[in-house]
Amino acid sequence: MGPEKMKEIITDVLKDVDVVIGYKQGFDKLHATPCFINKAEQIEEIIWSPVCVQNLASFLPSLKAKKVGVVVKGCDSRTIVQYMQEGLIDRSKVVVVGIPCTGVVSVKKVLDKVNHQPIEDVVFEADGAILVKTPAGETKLSLADVSPDKCSTCLYPTPVVYDHLAAEPIKSVKAPEDVYKDVEEFEGKSLEERKVYWEKEFDRCIRCYACRNACPMCVCQDSCIAESRDPHWISQKSNLSEKFMFHMIHSIHLAGRCVECGECERVCPMGIPVNALKKKLNHDMKALYNYEPGVNPEDKPPMYTFSVEEKKIEEHKL
Amino acid sequence: MRVGVFICHCGSNIAGTIDVAKVAAEMRKVPGVAFATNYMYTCSEPGQDEIKEAIKREKLNRIVVAACSPRMHELTFRRTIEKAGLNRYFLEMANIREHISWIGLDKEANTNKAIESVKMAVAKAMNNKPLYSQSFKVNKRVLVIGGGVAGMQAALDCADGGLEVILVEKSPSVGGMMARLDKTFPTIDCSICILGPKMVDVAQHDKIKLYAYSEVDDIKGYVGNYQIKIKKKATYVDWVKCTGCGACMEKCPAKNSYDHFNFGVAPTRAINIPFPQAIPKKAKIDPNYCRQFVKGKCGVCAKICPTGAINYEMQDEIITEDVGAIIVASGYGLVDMDKFPEYGAGRYPDVITGIQYERLLNASGPTEGHILRPSDKTEPKTVVFVSCAGSRDKSCGIPYCSNFCCMYIAKQAILTKDHIPDSQSYVFYMDIRSPGKGYDEFTRRAQEDYGAKYVRGRVSRIYPKGKKMVVVGADTLLGTQVEVEADLVVLATAVTAAPGAPQLAEKLHISYDTFGFYVEGHPKLRPVETNTAGVYLAGCAQGPKDIPASVGQGSAAASKVQALFSKDMLESDPAVAKVNENTCVGCLKCIMTCPFGAVKEKELRGGRIVANVIETVCAGCGVCTATCPCGAIQLSHFTDNQLLAEVNTICQK
Repeated sequence: MGPEKMKEIITDVLKDVDVVIGYKQGFDKLHATPCFINKAEQIEEIIWSPVCVQNLASFLPSLKAKKVGVVVKGCDSRTIVQYMQEGLIDRSKVVVVGIPCTGVVSVKKVLDKVNHQPIEDVVFEADGAILVKTPAGETKLSLADVSPDKCSTCLYPTPVVYDHLAAEPIKSVKAPEDVYKDVEEFEGKSLEERKVYWEKEFDRCIRCYACRNACPMCVCQDSCIAESRDPHWISQKSNLSEKFMFHMIHSIHLAGRCVECGECERVCPMGIPVNALKKKLNHDMKALYNYEPGVNPEDKPPMYTFSVEEKKIEEHKL
Repeated sequence: MRVGVFICHCGSNIAGTIDVAKVAAEMRKVPGVAFATNYMYTCSEPGQDEIKEAIKREKLNRIVVAACSPRMHELTFRRTIEKAGLNRYFLEMANIREHISWIGLDKEANTNKAIESVKMAVAKAMNNKPLYSQSFKVNKRVLVIGGGVAGMQAALDCADGGLEVILVEKSPSVGGMMARLDKTFPTIDCSICILGPKMVDVAQHDKIKLYAYSEVDDIKGYVGNYQIKIKKKATYVDWVKCTGCGACMEKCPAKNSYDHFNFGVAPTRAINIPFPQAIPKKAKIDPNYCRQFVKGKCGVCAKICPTGAINYEMQDEIITEDVGAIIVASGYGLVDMDKFPEYGAGRYPDVITGIQYERLLNASGPTEGHILRPSDKTEPKTVVFVSCAGSRDKSCGIPYCSNFCCMYIAKQAILTKDHIPDSQSYVFYMDIRSPGKGYDEFTRRAQEDYGAKYVRGRVSRIYPKGKKMVVVGADTLLGTQVEVEADLVVLATAVTAAPGAPQLAEKLHISYDTFGFYVEGHPKLRPVETNTAGVYLAGCAQGPKDIPASVGQGSAAASKVQALFSKDMLESDPAVAKVNENTCVGCLKCIMTCPFGAVKEKELRGGRIVANVIETVCAGCGVCTATCPCGAIQLSHFTDNQLLAEVNTICQK
């Protein structure tokens, strides 16, 4: 799957939108970076390969006033559906260029494999192998070994919503029951074990808010309750309880909204598995409301409805 | 900040299990508390005076009263501090009675809990902001839900006082349960003879607008300004044209329709007028039985109707009415006979309920007042009454007494003797409850003058034997088993909440108990009010009660509405949601969750979209504040920071 067809589509799309958001190469071959295209000559910069990890749909709410074309992978496309459910974008002003995706790389995992040497070149071979050249030599990796965890249980390799598709659609071969296997496994541990685990993880948090800033569903951004004094839910102290509280707020604000794009975890400079908390809440929301975020534009997020009687929550019997 | 703390003894209610002097002493150590004391009855006049004096003397600017539930006296103390010149929202109450002293005996633990509770209230009070009410106009119209005797009395009293009344009745006629009764205890006067004139008054009063066969579909608004949606259910008969001649009913070929008015004691026609005195006296089609609806052809009534009133295409209609207050008199239901497998669970035709027997006794009933067994239409000579069929029975989920069964059984036993002089009645009872004026004399008359045999004990089983029903029970006074071969058995089935009562309560935002009966504002002192301003209760919707009590409550509720409407303007509660436009990100999720439709979109200069709360529509429930991810929408008097101050206090070591 080369970027040629995608470039053709974008050339077309660019004629009636203000900007197209795609990927271009970053500072080395292992890093891609978002690019905003509004002139035809920029189209040549566009790339598509497993290093295109960012969720470009995240930019859409801030560009609500403009007509925007956006390149999305399967996982990213759920963001668009969730935005539609929550009324955060005007679908008629968004042109979605979908890419069926067979998996991306985790930059962190690749760097770990090559001992954080400077990257000279990255070549993706037809059989799925990756050749990484560094001053120390050449390393051959398999994509499956260096993909982020989300790829191993991906149910939506083909975007769930699109206007143009850059390649033939791919069907998922993954089992839906495996998606939350890690959550269920973790829940098997004792309360004490889980507490110790999270205390250790959150202790590393530096409250840089990268997870929040990268999150496509964190709509508040600069008005975030984590930095507000009125209401003053948490202070700026850098202690464990305040860090814990921040992550609890982030997770609960995403209950039944997280599209599991994994951006929070990808951008965390401290390698904290923050996505697990959101997955846990999604798992619960699925059990309580049979709701999966970002799949069907007609759905209503259960936390954004009000009904006196909730079917599965027995507060009082009528 | 100078906080004054007043700890109430409430006689021994609080001081008995809490060391109030110690609580006051501890409060003096709390930063910000300028004055703390304990007093025997803070709500008494000298108690309130002490607060007023302390405010002046100690220059207090926040007041904490640790006493009973704020439901009881919050308003009292708000007025007190207002008289002393403080904003009424500078008062905070700590409920150390219902929440602490009444529920634990360990004085030390109670005292510690009280200290924490009062500290929390102090923290909240220090964060309280002055709030000011707005006044708004009252719509002096009243909605009465339910056209039984309680609802009719309320409607008539309101209308006679000059108020416009909207009366909504879900069945095709007003009258309710009382219209079905034959005679009433303890005077044995004819029920419909005393109710009929009231029904006519309701129909003819120019201040009363009656919606029969209608239900309250939706209620929006607040005290003084409610918008009511009323669903007029399709009757398939144009009531403007219908004269109530009854020709359709005579000719209707669907003769096996269930008779809701007669509780199924005999069938009726698919098109019917429920009873001769019905108000309005109009026909209605039951589409579950009508051949035109079931089979798609018939049309007999349409042909026979002299005014052409039949309309098979009729649809439900929604009507909107604006009112300022609501009286709920939605009545009661009866427990299903299916609950009693030991009594045949409704399988034996000659085991019937008290209300069905009432219809057999009634001259306008299906037997024209002759007592005839449903099975073979013969006159029963032995009639057994079983009281407490479901009532006072935890296994049925009905631990309460149904209030009036003892009395109506005695009445029915007397009437049975009147109708069939050679009959014998037996009454199985647990206790005879007859605490009304002339009531006990009445039950004695049933036994002494009319020879009803009262057996103290419960019935374990009823089974058929030939044409008879054998009633097996205990006689606990003799300590033996008894068996009576009866021709007819009458079960005094328990009173339950009306079907759909909880759903109506949710629409009205009033509380209901586990049985579905509506909860009054105070069991003694606010018997017809609810905790929702502008909504009042009357009759059995609040709990089982007899006719005099229901009528009394109807009048009482009407007088409450008159008092409410004596003012032209009401004060709004300022404890409503407020949007901080600087931090609102305009995601508008609050609009999606607001149960009252009180949040709307607003465009600021420069085009930025934010949420905006319509103060008078907001009920202050706080759903929006829980939804808002950035805390930009806050419930005044219950802001995040006010609650966090309390949480932080209790979490401090």
